[in-house]
Amino acid sequence: MFETLFQLLSELPPDGRALLLPSECIPMATLRRDASLLAQHSQLPKGCRIALCGLSPLKLIKAVIAFDGTVNVMLLLPASMDARTTNQLIQSSHCTHRIDALLDEPESIASLLNLPLRDEAPTRWLLASSGTTGTPKLIEHTLASLCRSVKRDTVCGSEFVWGLLYDPCRFAGMQVVLQALLSTSGLCVSESMDFDTQITGFIANKVNALSATPSLWRRLLMDGRIAELPLRQITLGGETVDQNILDALKHAFPVARVIHIYASTEVGTGFSVHDGFAGFPANWIDSVIAPLPLRVREDGHLLVKPWILPGGKEILDRVDADGYLDTQDLVRVEGDRVFFLGRASGAINVGGNKVNPEEIECCIREVEGVYDVRVYAKKNSIMGQIVAAEVVSAIEVEPEPLRKSIQRHCRSHLENWQVPVFISFVTALKETSSGKRERLPV
Amino acid sequence: MRETIIAIMSSIADDSDLHLKSELHDQDVLLECGLDSLGFAILVAHLEEEFGYDPFSLMDQPYYPRTFGEFVAIYQKYAP
Repeated sequence: MFETLFQLLSELPPDGRALLLPSECIPMATLRRDASLLAQHSQLPKGCRIALCGLSPLKLIKAVIAFDGTVNVMLLLPASMDARTTNQLIQSSHCTHRIDALLDEPESIASLLNLPLRDEAPTRWLLASSGTTGTPKLIEHTLASLCRSVKRDTVCGSEFVWGLLYDPCRFAGMQVVLQALLSTSGLCVSESMDFDTQITGFIANKVNALSATPSLWRRLLMDGRIAELPLRQITLGGETVDQNILDALKHAFPVARVIHIYASTEVGTGFSVHDGFAGFPANWIDSVIAPLPLRVREDGHLLVKPWILPGGKEILDRVDADGYLDTQDLVRVEGDRVFFLGRASGAINVGGNKVNPEEIECCIREVEGVYDVRVYAKKNSIMGQIVAAEVVSAIEVEPEPLRKSIQRHCRSHLENWQVPVFISFVTALKETSSGKRERLPV
Repeated sequence: MRETIIAIMSSIADDSDLHLKSELHDQDVLLECGLDSLGFAILVAHLEEEFGYDPFSLMDQPYYPRTFGEFVAIYQKYAP
């Protein structure tokens, strides 16, 4: 028998803090009542497959409490997703009902198609992978897999007030939501994902625990207003964490516990590092003291043996004979530390937004005068990485006008963070010994 | 140096369809000058090309500036 999110919350004190809005505190009993009313009003047939589209953080939290355990599939789609991708994902997940931002209104629920009901089983949560372009991958979870690394200590939890900076439709955001709710910490949410509204709410509610990407932490430090927050828990993840940002946070918040998390789509939350240093201890490799079994392959790929291995052919192809999964993250062992270098695929992480270099190369090749191009990551102190390109051009073409044409073309076809910041002209492109395009970050 | 920084900020704003404040003063909050986080990332990258150093990677005690004046001062302090 599985437990639903509603049941887990029912075991917690009814007067405990659940959600904190800028001017109001919603206790656990009220949140459960609202979720229960929503479940009744929506009249969704048991076993249906729902798409929650572009709900505000507050409405999304109520909806997942209302529908977990009742519906067969729950697809969480952020407001920032474009309509075409949203429709594509709803279709490919065979959703029977679509629930949009109005939520409380009956007309916000549209029945899409009828599917035979399935046996009762835990709700399958479908979360979209973040930041990539094209159609995002959907990652399947259950409440149990989402809660695997959530600490449910209400005594310790009651000392914290979490702020929600991430979109709760994403894995990292839902981790914050579940951590805060299940340990009765209180979660400061706003009606929108607007940065200023979020910060104002955090200050009003004296938030003391926050989770964000390194780039977002740099932005918070530059903004300065978080200096007012009595932060005790600082979590970083979603991008490679460098020593600078760890030191800057430790300096700004000397009493805070600063941890960085290694997580991936396939592994979920892999491990967290608490010692204040970038990377992780080298003595975790092939050792029982590691949070989970870790290996570094000869070619620098980090291998992990997750507690629960996700299914699918793509994943199985990446598992070796000993059950270790190739994370496709490149690492380097330096003395007693292991440092992350980037993705083996060359994927670039611009402040948490992932860029596929091949896609940018395709776009640049469309420009007249371009023979060939290599797109790669360049290290950056503010966003972690930015996009750079090396172009081989036709001999007769002047570099400066071509640079401008490439930038213009990229700006009209790509997102801002995908447009190469640097374009240099070379006579030939570097390749690795195996003939692949060299993609290590510089 | 201040003029070079402003000139590069202005060119990034133009390229990214952002609106930079017409006049920048030392006390102006950096994130309210008109560039977004990505804009500052691009600025720091271009300034590294221009001046040959990135002060944020040179600091013993990392510090992120809040105002335009602090930003310029960091570049002046770490100039080789």
